[in-house]
Amino acid sequence: MHSPLIEVDALSKQFGRLQVLDGASFSIDRGETLGMFGTSGSGKTTVGKCLVLLERPDSGRIVFEGRDLLKLKKKELSRTRPRLQMIFQNPVTSLNPKMRAIDSISEPMVIHRKISKEQILQEVDRLIARVGLRPEHLARYPQQLSGGEIQRAVLARIISLQPSFVVADEPTSMLDASVQAQILRLMMKIQEDTGLAYLFISHDIDVLRAVSDRIAYIENGSIKKIETNREKRSWARS
Amino acid sequence: MFLLEVKHLDVGFKTKLGTVEAVNDVSFHIDKGEIFGFIGESGSGKSVIGMSLLRLLPRNALVKGSAIFEGTDLLAAGEEEMQRLRGKEIAFIPQNPSDSLNPLMKNGQQISEVFEAKGHGRKEAKDLALKVMKRLLIRDPRLSADRYPHQLSGGMKQRLLTGISLSLQPRLVIADEPTKGLDSITRRSSIEFYQGLEGKKDRSMLLITHDLDLAYEICDRLAVLYAGEIVEMGPAKKLLDDPLHPYTQGLINSLPKNGLVPLEGSSPSLLDLPRGCFFSERCRSCISDCIKSHPKLAQNGGWMKRCILP
Repeated sequence: MHSPLIEVDALSKQFGRLQVLDGASFSIDRGETLGMFGTSGSGKTTVGKCLVLLERPDSGRIVFEGRDLLKLKKKELSRTRPRLQMIFQNPVTSLNPKMRAIDSISEPMVIHRKISKEQILQEVDRLIARVGLRPEHLARYPQQLSGGEIQRAVLARIISLQPSFVVADEPTSMLDASVQAQILRLMMKIQEDTGLAYLFISHDIDVLRAVSDRIAYIENGSIKKIETNREKRSWARS
Repeated sequence: MFLLEVKHLDVGFKTKLGTVEAVNDVSFHIDKGEIFGFIGESGSGKSVIGMSLLRLLPRNALVKGSAIFEGTDLLAAGEEEMQRLRGKEIAFIPQNPSDSLNPLMKNGQQISEVFEAKGHGRKEAKDLALKVMKRLLIRDPRLSADRYPHQLSGGMKQRLLTGISLSLQPRLVIADEPTKGLDSITRRSSIEFYQGLEGKKDRSMLLITHDLDLAYEICDRLAVLYAGEIVEMGPAKKLLDDPLHPYTQGLINSLPKNGLVPLEGSSPSLLDLPRGCFFSERCRSCISDCIKSHPKLAQNGGWMKRCILP
């Protein structure tokens, strides 16, 4: 039987008296990009945070690679976590300002992968080549990097853990049009190379039409409709 | 006579590595009641131009040229003169609404303190602030005035900030990326809001943005900046519908609705600008003459372009 990579069922979450998520359900296949469109306050960011367990939903199920994330024990969870990654909206606050790019990029490997220091450095070289950074960027601190360069460093960090699923929460809304195009293309290239799936959250329907296989519309914390998007791939392979 | 006429503006920043040439020989004017826009990517010098006109740049900035605003050269005026002009004659709407409001101060007070600073009494200032908030279509002005910035949405914060800037009815408003990070609905309403401002009491605006849709909707004329210089300038809608300069064309092609065709590479280092055309390294139509000498900004009717190609 066909089983999706991640299946979200009746996710609900309340902040104080505010019902932010109200029974949101959807699923994402391996290698697929599900776009999520909504305005400020629609709950789209909270959905993303729940999926990578930065927020715990009040009720509902998140089945990832066949296992219910909300029922995993601590040890199993820490084994699963690297497979689920997230890229955030604001490049300025995405990296630790007191860490050089090289430390930020290698940190996840130090924590999650049991490989030697030398192997990590080799891996960093390979990673930055894939995301289009140059070795001179590695010694810089976040404030010495442009928004686009930071998002590239964040992507290098993410793929170092070989995730199967990435939540991208407005990853390009703070970037210039031409840099946005570079980063979106890079994300699509990474997807083609590794087969990872994205939940791509945005309030820019043009961006979603360019990158998504399907687009889900969220309103007041629940999914109103999901439609197939035929505009994608036409440019990604060009 | 123009409201503002900037001629040969150069801004450099002295650093340990040399001088960063952030703005290079920029000349433009703004008519009374006109909305003039600067578009370009980060680092192209758009914000620096705005800040230099208000003389808010750090000390290591080297500014040359002239900027005549109603007979006063902003770049040569004394500090006292500038203090008189700032806020009252020329107002500034900064980039990030969340970072630009005082989080510990009630919304109404953030506007009324502007009036207090200009000599109004506390109660009078409060009433004036409420009037401003009403005019800005801030929902439930009396209630909002008594709340703190974090209790407002992004769009409302943007309006509040605009309100502070417009409270003294300046003749010129410099708005730096007013829609960055706002969602499409909030953006739309702020576009309509700015459009509503146009022409009122011959208010003029310098809009700095990389939001091409916003520029298209509200600007009368536009200048495209690349590596600190104007590469193309003309009527906003025509310029964006039918750009002549390869950089402007590239910028427009990189929009999601136009196929996300990125401009390869990145802008040249402002510490070491190329001798020829600044855009030549990334230009698909580059020929050998482009690298030999720096192209001039050539006028053709109401349109200007810095490119030797036809």
